[in-house]
This record gives sequence, C-alpha cells and structure tokens, in this order.
Amino acid sequence: MDAYVIEMENIVKTFGEVKAITDGQFTLKEGEIHSLIGENGAGKSTMMKSLYGMYDIDSGIIKIRGDLMGHITPKIAIEKGIGMVHQEFMLVNDLTVLENIILGFEPKKGITIDFEKARGSIGQYIDQYKMDIQLNKKINQISVGEAQRVEIIKILTRGANVIILDEPTAVLTPQETKQLFKILKNLKADGKSIVFISHKLNEVMEISDRISVMRQSKYIGTVNKNETSQSELAKMMIGREVFLNIEKASAKTGETVLDVKDVWVSGEKEISKIKGVSLQVKAGEIVGLAGIDGNGQSELIEAITGLREVEKGEILLEGKNITGKSPGKIRSIGLTHIPEDRNVRGLNRTMSIEDNLAAAKIEDVQFSKWALIKKKAIHKYAVGLADTFDIRPRNPQSLTAALSGGNAQKVVVAREVAMNGKLLVASQPTRGVDIGAIESIRTILQDVKLKGLGVLLVSADLEEILSLSDRIVVMHEGKISGEAIASETDEEKLGLLMMGGADLSSSKSGGDLD
Amino acid sequence: MNFSKIFNTSLIYATFRSATPIIYAALCAAITQQADILNIGTEGIMLTGAFAAVTVSYLTGSWILGVLTAMAAGFLMSMIMAVGHIRYKAEICAIGMGINMFAIAITKFLLNSVLGKSGTFSEPEIQAIPRVSLPFLTKVKFLNELFNNWCITEWFVIVLIIAIWFIFYKTVWGLRLRAVGQFPAAAQTAGINVNAMKYQAIAISGLIGGLAGAHLSLGYSKMFTENMTNARGFMGVAAMYFGSGHPILTAVGCLVFGFSDSIGARLQAYGVPSQLVLLMPYVVVIVTLAISMASKLAREKKRKSSLA
Repeated sequence: MDAYVIEMENIVKTFGEVKAITDGQFTLKEGEIHSLIGENGAGKSTMMKSLYGMYDIDSGIIKIRGDLMGHITPKIAIEKGIGMVHQEFMLVNDLTVLENIILGFEPKKGITIDFEKARGSIGQYIDQYKMDIQLNKKINQISVGEAQRVEIIKILTRGANVIILDEPTAVLTPQETKQLFKILKNLKADGKSIVFISHKLNEVMEISDRISVMRQSKYIGTVNKNETSQSELAKMMIGREVFLNIEKASAKTGETVLDVKDVWVSGEKEISKIKGVSLQVKAGEIVGLAGIDGNGQSELIEAITGLREVEKGEILLEGKNITGKSPGKIRSIGLTHIPEDRNVRGLNRTMSIEDNLAAAKIEDVQFSKWALIKKKAIHKYAVGLADTFDIRPRNPQSLTAALSGGNAQKVVVAREVAMNGKLLVASQPTRGVDIGAIESIRTILQDVKLKGLGVLLVSADLEEILSLSDRIVVMHEGKISGEAIASETDEEKLGLLMMGGADLSSSKSGGDLD
Repeated sequence: MNFSKIFNTSLIYATFRSATPIIYAALCAAITQQADILNIGTEGIMLTGAFAAVTVSYLTGSWILGVLTAMAAGFLMSMIMAVGHIRYKAEICAIGMGINMFAIAITKFLLNSVLGKSGTFSEPEIQAIPRVSLPFLTKVKFLNELFNNWCITEWFVIVLIIAIWFIFYKTVWGLRLRAVGQFPAAAQTAGINVNAMKYQAIAISGLIGGLAGAHLSLGYSKMFTENMTNARGFMGVAAMYFGSGHPILTAVGCLVFGFSDSIGARLQAYGVPSQLVLLMPYVVVIVTLAISMASKLAREKKRKSSLA
C-alpha cells in the first residue's frame, strides 16, 4: 500500500459567516501529481492554505508523513517539506530575485548575508531543472512566467518535497504552460509530490495522476486520471451537465461604433505602456481583446472608458471624439462597461442590489426628483432586472457584499446591459464566477451583440475569447501583435501572438517553443 | 550685510550641530518606516527621552545613566505604540499623536512634581554629554573649527547612520524588515513572524528616539524646557519621507534643515526679524516636502488611472 505524504480528514473552516469548507478530504501519495479541482469558491485554495498554515482550521485532522499536526504555521509547514506557489505570487517587488529566494532562509557570513553562497546553491537548482531565471533583476522587471519559476525555485531551496501550485496556469500563455508542465514532470521524476489546483479540465487531464473534486465547500470524490474523462469531471464539479460552448450566432455588422486611432497611454509603472494601438468595433460584432494579463489591455480599456489619461491619439465613439472626456460624458454617448474588478469598480459592496442596479440611472426622472430618490420605483425596477438576469437571492435589498461571485457579476452585467448603450466593454466578465454564471453571462453577451451593440470583450481566458468573438485582436507589450477572424484561428496561434511572435509560419510547425 | 561672516567655516559645524537631533529623530522614524509603520510619535518619544536624560543626569551626576534612562523611556513609549498598533490594531497615526500629547503633558507634570520647576530646568548639577577634544587639531585652524570639540553623540550619529544603512541592506534582519514592510504576506509565507519584526522595529525605533532626546537635552543643550523638541521629531519624519527611509538620504535631508536653521540664526544678527528667522526651518521643511512630493506625484500622475 502506498504511504501517504499528506492526509487531511474532515476539514471544516469558516470565515465569519462564510463556510469555506464544510467537509474537506485530501490525500497525497509520494511522487504523484494530484489535481484538486472545483469551481471558484469551492474551497480548493482554502484547503491548501490550511495545510500550509496560512489559515487555522476549525476542526479536522491534518497528518504530514503520518505525524498528526496541531497548529500549523507557514514556518512549520516549510520545515515539514511543504512549499506553496500562491495564485498571487508572494514576491516582494522591490527586492531582487536572489533576495526573494533566500528570504527567511538566508545563508550568513558573520553578520552579513552570504550572497555568493546563495547564488551557488540556487544555481544548482536552476541547472538541474533547466529553468531560465535572472537572479539580479528586481521582481518588477521580470515576466509573470519567470516570476512563477522564481517561486518554484524558492520552494525547492527551502527543501520542499511537497509542492502546492494554486492555479499556476491562470497567468500563463499556452507555451509557458507547456514549459511549466515540463518542469513539473521533472520534479515528479525526482520524487517530489505535487498538488495542482485548477479548474481547467484539459490541463488537469494532461498532468495529473489522480484528481480530487470539491463542490460548494465539500469533498466530492477522487478518481484516477486513467479512469475518468473531462465530461465526468465537469459533472462532478458542477453537479450537472453544462454547455459552455455557446453556439455562435452571427449578426449583421453595421457602422463602426468604436474607433481607436493610434492611442498612447501610460501605465502604472511606465510611461507609454500602450504604444500606438488602433482598433475598431462595429455594431453587431464581438471583438475579443486577448493577451497575457499586464500587456496593456487594462490600460487601453481605462483609456476608452475615460478612467485614464490618453497621451496622444484619438478615440471615437459613435463618431464623436471622446478622448479626454469624463467617464460620465462618455457613458451618456453610449458606453456601457463591465469593469474587470467588480469588487473595486463594478459594485458598491456596502450597498444593496437595487441601489447598485439603479446607480447608473439614478439621475433619471424615473428614479429621482429634485434631490429625492424614488425608493419604490427603484425597487420595482430592480425586481424586474433580478428576474430577467436570474440574480439570486431574489430579494433586491440584500447587500451585494453577501453575494457569490457569479451573482455579484450578474448585478453588474444587468445594470450595464439595461443601459441600452451603443458599445459594451466587457472586461474579464466571467473571472472568478461559477460555471453556471459563466454560461448565462456568455449568453447575455451574445444577445447584446444580436441586439446590434458593439462588444469589446477582454479576457485572459482564450477559450472564452474564441467561443464568443467574431474577430480577435491580440495585445503584446502595449501593441497589437496580431488580428484574426475567430473561426480561422486556434489557441496555439493566439498563444504565439500573445508572446509577441507575429510570425505565424512557426506555429504551423508545431508551435512548441522548447 | 557681510556674507563672509555668514558663510564661513563655522557654518559647516553649525549646520551639522543643528541637524544632529533631527538626524536621530529621522533614523528613529526610518526604522519603523521600513516596516511600513509611520512613526509620527517620534516627537513624543524624543521629548520623553530629553526629560528622562536631564532628570537622571541631575539626580545621579552621570550622563551615561541619563542617556541609558532616556533610551529606556523611549523604549517604553514606543512599546505603548507597538501594543496599541499591532495587538489592538489601532491606527498608527492616532496612537502616535496620542503619544505626542501624552509626552508633553507627562514631562510638564513631572517637571513640576519631581524637579519642582516649571518652564525650564537648568541646573549646574546636570552632567552634559562630554565633548571630544582633539588637541592635535588645534594647529590647523580650518580643521580645528570643523572637527574639534564635537559632542560624543555627534560623532556617534555618523556611526549610527552607517550602522543602520548596513543593517537595512546587508543583514538578514534588514532584508526581512524590508520584506515585511513591502509585502507582509510574502514575508509570512517565507516563515517570517511579521508581528515580531514589527515589534522589534518599533522597539529599536524607541531606543533611538530616546537617544535623540538625550542628545537634545544633554548634548545639544544642557537643560530641559517644556516642549523643547519644538517639532524636531516631525522634521525628522519629514526628512525620512524626503529620503524614503534610506538612512543616508534621510540624513542629507536633515542637513538641509540644519543649514536653514543655522543660517537663520546668523541672519538674526543683521536685523532680520526673529519671527521670520524662527519660521525658516519650517518653511524649508514644507518646501522640501512639497518639491519631493510634487516630483513623485508628477511621475505617478500619468501612470495612475483616475480611480486608483
């Protein structure tokens, strides 16, 4: 019988009112890659963060190599050989790669840090797993893929033999993902045990030995990769069959709604992060804006919606110049916007569903007269929208802070779609929402298009871009690196464009960068 | 007006002399700043230290005991802040201002009840921090004016600046401190006890703040007056901002303040109204901060989205 490295039984964890895990089970064998899958909010990350000592569990048993663990801290977890690559990298931006790797485990020479010794021992791991890492660069100067490799090296130098990766591929291009999988297979061959948290079923099927599924804070079951299929896993995850691939309906495209002409915009960390982007969106089409996070998509959207200053260039909406206009003014011309972070910009979380739904129309005579708000009218309006868009709970007076990701996002979508604008800018419309809500939000976007609006869809999820868009524009380092008709391209080709490689011929010869 | 009488060799020492108490205060603030804690209580810690130093020096006749007591007093004050901020999650600025007001009140009260004076306490029995006389320098007038008869704590501040720079950027503790300040979650996952680091930073800050006070009352002067820090702690915090918590840049900022202070003192002799002269260091603080903030903002303005 296989010895378990990790055993977690009957785990319960609550955050205040929220039950993050009601029944968590997990085991990890020596030298296996074990995927932990489930929808967002199913409790996968919480399980692993509890194992790593970042959360204290309310009840349950955690054993590491047979030892029953009491209170775990990250320090104890590290000493027990557990390392975790978090979804949000735990790297200090202003420190160098080298300083980040040794942080907490610094080799000393007298009272100073022995940087030379550190360089040597880290170099061994870099060579052994053939990773491409520049030790002297600061974290804010390296790519996301490299930062992830830094995280893995960091964990290895701390002597980890259990490696937990929390949605590691969410930020990677298909090519970088391949490279990561190679590293993971090398690690496995070396006897390391790996926990792979994900909700991308194709990746899970490619890399895992065993797969455990969680749904709504509960453990559902564990299967061997060889004895299961993507559709069975999907069913376990959601509890029913789903159809994410919405059949694409094409509408007649009309006039150009949005015309972005050679626009330059500064980013948070650099001047001219966007260098001369031009694109058009016509009425009745969905244009997908693809790219790895951080290549200027957010800045471009903020420039279009009036939230960020434009250095130079012109943006026309419905033929009117909106460059440098206020967000309110732009919205009055016909812009509607699903912002990428619903909790920061999409919703006022301390307010009710109905207040959020009416927020964009609060100045209409319909909802307010003089300085007074017409509560009843707002309530009626909200009830109607909640029905149409299936927002749960149906009570529009409940606070949006209490909603699940999917329902919170539906509030934003409902508000914006009900504006009946000319252009809908949808930024990461399904990020962090459950699969049921993904299905309905995608259908809504399609309906909006059929109604004759132009839709600019930004998503980090290539599958979403491909299944919804008519045309796809790819951004890389602040420029458009390529454009394609959705029906004539695939993930592989888009992935190459996302890396900046405009040379499509190489993708035909396999597209494997290694 | 005779410019050669204003800008002469002795101005260099005068600048350094005026700057030293502010440098100590700024270092006190810089240490916690690296852990992302704004030590607005520097002023109060310093004032408490100044009082403790004079009192103990007067009672025991030992300046060393005075200095050590001042550091202990600074430590105590800083621990009030640390417990309030870390354990009970109080807003650090509110606690810091509380410490400042408490320090003014408690030193005034103790001045009355323990030393039986009000306003100023200046007795010959107070042992000042000795000055270092270097006889071999007397031969060269220039060097003599520049370096002779420095107070021990004036020499020590240079050591302290370098030591803190070394600690921040060369030692394990410094690396961890900076990590805690910049991204506590990353430090935590590296197995670093974030709260312990914060306690340590505030404790050391308190020791240095106490020393700042001791230097002010036993080195820079030889007496205690009510509210004698006179915003030097705040100037230190301002200089720390100017230098973004880097000890050497921070010290440079303090020298700017010291320079304006000593120039002002000289101008007074030429009939410039004293109110205006007393105003000068504060004007310089505001101008310096405004310039450094404005340039920072200008750089950031274009990068930021309007909602961020």
